[in-house]
Amino acid sequence: MSGGANRKKTTRSQGWEEAGSEFYQESYPGDSEIEVLQRDPKHLHTLLPSKQTRGGATIRIKTNDYRTNNRTIRRYTATRSRRESTVHRRTSLAGEVQVSMLPDLSEMSSNEQTAWEEIMQIKSMPISMAEKKEMKAKILNEPNLRLQGFEQFKWKRRKMLDHFRSRLQEHLQNLELWKNSMRSIEGNYGVGIVAYFLFVKWLFILNVLLFVLIFLFIILPTVLLDMKKDTYCPNATINTCCAHIYFNESTSNNNVLLDLIQGTGILERTLLFYGFYSNNVLEYLVGGIKMYYNMPVAYFFVILSCFVLSVFTSLNAAAKGFKEHLIEGEGQFYHYCNMIFGGWDFCIRNEKAAKIKHKLIYNELKAGVETQRLDEEILSRTVQEKYKIYFCRVIVNTVVLAILSGCGCVIYLVFTLANKQLKVTTDKYADLFYEFLPSFTIVGLNMVIPHLFSFLITFEKYKPQTVLKFSLIRIVFLRLSALIVLYASLWSKVSNERSDTSSCTVYNTVPVCWESYVGQQIYKLLLTDFAIQIIMIFIVNSVRALIARHVQNKCVKFFTEQYFDLSKHALDVVYTQTLIWFGIFYAPLISLMGALIFLIMFYIKKFACTVNCKPSPIVYRAARSNSMFMLVLLISFAFAAIPLGFSFSDLTPSKSCGPFRGRASVWELAVSLFLKTPDWVQSIIFFLGTAGFAVPCIIVLVLLVYYYTAVNLANRQLVGVLKNQLVLEGHDKQFLLDRLSLFIKQEQQKRLRSEQNRDNGDNRS
Amino acid sequence: MGQAKSQFSEDELQDYQDLTYFTKKEVLYAHNKFKALAPEKVGHNKNAKLPMAKILQYPELSVNPFGERICEVFSSSHDGDCTFEDFLDMMSVLSEAAPKSVKAEHAFRIFDYDGDDMLGVSDLKKVITKLTGDHKLSETEINMLIENVLEEADMDDDGSLSFAEFEHITDRSSDFLCAFRIRL
Repeated sequence: MSGGANRKKTTRSQGWEEAGSEFYQESYPGDSEIEVLQRDPKHLHTLLPSKQTRGGATIRIKTNDYRTNNRTIRRYTATRSRRESTVHRRTSLAGEVQVSMLPDLSEMSSNEQTAWEEIMQIKSMPISMAEKKEMKAKILNEPNLRLQGFEQFKWKRRKMLDHFRSRLQEHLQNLELWKNSMRSIEGNYGVGIVAYFLFVKWLFILNVLLFVLIFLFIILPTVLLDMKKDTYCPNATINTCCAHIYFNESTSNNNVLLDLIQGTGILERTLLFYGFYSNNVLEYLVGGIKMYYNMPVAYFFVILSCFVLSVFTSLNAAAKGFKEHLIEGEGQFYHYCNMIFGGWDFCIRNEKAAKIKHKLIYNELKAGVETQRLDEEILSRTVQEKYKIYFCRVIVNTVVLAILSGCGCVIYLVFTLANKQLKVTTDKYADLFYEFLPSFTIVGLNMVIPHLFSFLITFEKYKPQTVLKFSLIRIVFLRLSALIVLYASLWSKVSNERSDTSSCTVYNTVPVCWESYVGQQIYKLLLTDFAIQIIMIFIVNSVRALIARHVQNKCVKFFTEQYFDLSKHALDVVYTQTLIWFGIFYAPLISLMGALIFLIMFYIKKFACTVNCKPSPIVYRAARSNSMFMLVLLISFAFAAIPLGFSFSDLTPSKSCGPFRGRASVWELAVSLFLKTPDWVQSIIFFLGTAGFAVPCIIVLVLLVYYYTAVNLANRQLVGVLKNQLVLEGHDKQFLLDRLSLFIKQEQQKRLRSEQNRDNGDNRS
Repeated sequence: MGQAKSQFSEDELQDYQDLTYFTKKEVLYAHNKFKALAPEKVGHNKNAKLPMAKILQYPELSVNPFGERICEVFSSSHDGDCTFEDFLDMMSVLSEAAPKSVKAEHAFRIFDYDGDDMLGVSDLKKVITKLTGDHKLSETEINMLIENVLEEADMDDDGSLSFAEFEHITDRSSDFLCAFRIRL
């Protein structure tokens, strides 16, 4: 070797690199890799350990999915999977497999359970089916220890359960509701719209559950034990005979159809309304033993559990969405990445839909680039412009508030007017008109005002996402304000003018059984809302869609073309659900009605989406819209539950009907039940109510909140620090890699030169 | 055994059930779908290898801008031609039951056009152009987008996304899980 000349050159400046080369050669025993490197030094980074830990991805799921307590198993499978993925990688990289570096499999002992768990983990590996099969066979062929005793029993039970679960899953899949509809909507409109239909389905199932609860514990006992209303009244003192009077009162001789849509007449004294249910303790015989069923208690607790069920299911769903939202929203990290990597809906399977999707993505990406410009524009707004925009916003917001309160006033006025007229008129049809006037007003306002809002919001110059949020919140308040007015008018009717104790009616201004009356109002509102939706979608909107399809005129198109506005349709169903929640106490069977309405609603909305509307120009994100639905639903739940709670404690139930007749309030029942419990329970609950408990409790809670915020802050800081560190490490790595590849290049040149020298030497000699 | 199952033995089905995210029934359903792509070929040999063009007739794949790339990634011969087992693998990964990390792994391979285990600028450019389809973004706009993506996700500043960085994105994105999914 004639390396002397070369060494002279490198001694001073590149001495460290020489040492590095020794280290380098030591740590990479395979010559093949070095050869690859020397051919192309750029490939260096693919050899870094950080690029080799893709097995890590599979390890993580394993530990999450299968809660194996056994550490060694975990490590074992981890190494195995990593080996597999590295094998896979190396073969594509250098064409060499370094078997000697891998752990020896035989030294690990495995048993049936671990073997089975490993087989279950194969599916998450990114290898082809043939390789998977091979792996499975290998694991099966390894000598397995049989489990002993209790372990064996546990293992067998687990396998049985798994088997059973997979069978059950197979059967459940057949039962899955609206599977094909979902699929076709998904294929044509994407997952964002499907999220809405899943929401409708969820509400449908919720209502079915509520109905089942009510049916089992309220309706079935009543039907079996209490159908005959023998309200026999021996002495005619008024107070005890109210029920007798109520049930034997002749009903108005209205048209049956009218009764049906108003919930009056023959319908009033049926299972549909509160008034029908008994206040007795029902008695029945089971095998000669007398059993009791306390109807009022059952009624109270079933309605209560309905609310608890609803709030927990929706909270659960909302919390899930909220968590995702929180993770995502942390500083809006991955806005662009989401657009690009999560942009395409893999479910789309229709040529036309695909074209639209391409266009949508194009728009979104373009908008993404433009928002940057917009942001810059916002930053560069002059003070004057800023004030102008703020001024505009303030004005628009006051206008919106004015409109909202105006709507409230209109509804209130119409309601009182209708009531006044109802007392005066005798004409049957005028009667009907006034009966439905409030409902129609509410529905009509709900249809017109949102358009006004969406017109107003253009003046405010928000960013597109903020626009969506603001308009949604305003419409929610519009809908709920209508409800508030409805409550207020009902309330004012009921709680005013208390009549004297001797008469059967509790309140002068309302019918004898005021709970049933409230139930009827809700029933009517629900029916009107539903009917108007059907009319709008099947008649008005489909005619519009028809015109839009066949007329080319731009002006006509503007008025007739429609897009599937997700927030509006979501509010439709949320509003219906709010009515159902509020009405469920006054008319228990409304839950069944709700289930039916949602069942039909699914098809109506599907028609609206697939036939009437063109695909929306806004990209709806499935996860985000789902959490939005749930949030709105929770708000409206509060709007249903709070007034009902007030009515429980503050209003006197009517004397002539319902399970709570004769009590001062519904709440009184709970109190009397409470007084019947053993002393120690009472004392515990009393203690929970005292300041001695409340003050320490509050202090502890405050401390906990403080603690968690502190932890949160610290974690956030840590995230920042770690991120910084990561960036620095990245820079370091980059720097070292550059130096290394430079070194390798030099080494190559050196070798080349030395070879040339040798050749020259050979030639010379 | 019914006529519908005749092409597979119980053992094979058990294998497939263990090695994918499907139940036996779904495996058979998937096979029917596969068969529908080339009835005479698959009827003959249940695990026949279909050329990529045939696989791409599957409706979801035919409109998917990454359809060809998906076939290539899942094909065991790496040329886009898929046997039934490859097809089953594909559907299993894209099914609802598959966990996020498995999906992320495959998505990364799909987006990694040049196969260097990094999502570099050229990969991103290709992904973006595929996404927008007929509508072309200008060169500067694409570059701006890529710059933004790298700014968001490229932690170590090496000008491309490694798998760890990509997985970090998918962990944070609930949309990804919704979107990277094909119903069988």
